[in-house]
Amino acid sequence: MLFSERSLWTMAHGIGLGGAGLLALAAVLFAFYLLGEREAIALSSDWPARAVAHLTGLAAVLLWLASLVGTYVVFPPYRATPPEGAADLAAYPRSLLLADPATSWLHAFAMETKEHLPWIATMLTTAVAFVAWRSGPRLLRDRSLRRTASGLLALSFLIVAYVSILGVFVNKVAPLE
Amino acid sequence: MVNRLERRREWGGFVSTGSPNGAAAAAFLAAGIGAFAMGLIAFLYAVDLLPLPVLYEPAGGVSSRTTLALAIWLIAWGFLHFRWRAREIDISRTGWIVGGLIALGVAGTFPPLWNAF
Repeated sequence: MLFSERSLWTMAHGIGLGGAGLLALAAVLFAFYLLGEREAIALSSDWPARAVAHLTGLAAVLLWLASLVGTYVVFPPYRATPPEGAADLAAYPRSLLLADPATSWLHAFAMETKEHLPWIATMLTTAVAFVAWRSGPRLLRDRSLRRTASGLLALSFLIVAYVSILGVFVNKVAPLE
Repeated sequence: MVNRLERRREWGGFVSTGSPNGAAAAAFLAAGIGAFAMGLIAFLYAVDLLPLPVLYEPAGGVSSRTTLALAIWLIAWGFLHFRWRAREIDISRTGWIVGGLIALGVAGTFPPLWNAF
């Protein structure tokens, strides 16, 4: 088989779910930008608000799946302990990274960051998705709600982009095969 | 009540645009509390001040740390939503508080900070 199961799950986690989540967040942020406060007030229909709600909900679902798959499917084989005296650590990414001082930061900093930070983005995006569904058009027309919601989404985007890059670094040096 | 039902039908079953914003404020603030909790838990665990049992052995301690943070988030959300759902809340001020909580939470997940203590 060309790709191992662990490799496929890693791709699904990072590119499929995380990447799609980034795209959805970017789309919602762009929608907020396009639908300025005045434009939103002038709109005669609620469909833009409905679209924003759907898109934000999609972003939240994707981030939840990315975090759950990352924590409970991809992380366990990553952190597996090699047998005593194992010479080839390629199948044990965490041990492989920690064995070399030049790469140990990829676990001690990058992966340790990835363990917790994505969940913050998940909570923030879920909150905005809830508000988008509950508030409807008011989210786009109310300046305070808009600013807070778009601020939280922007933070989520930055967090997800940051942990995604860290994941690319880790997978480049110690891929999960 | 009829007007509220009519507005529900227009939006497809959700609360109308004329309702108080308390539920939104509750959601935002709870997310901030959850973010702060995540950072605090990560920090306290890293400096050996918060021993937690492992919930899922293959994933290790991260399973319990993240589950605890999510539980705190959901409990805070439920409480705040119940208290604020019928009220109009200053969203701007809430946003600043949320921003501060998120900043502290993110800082708590930063490994170099753990090593400083």
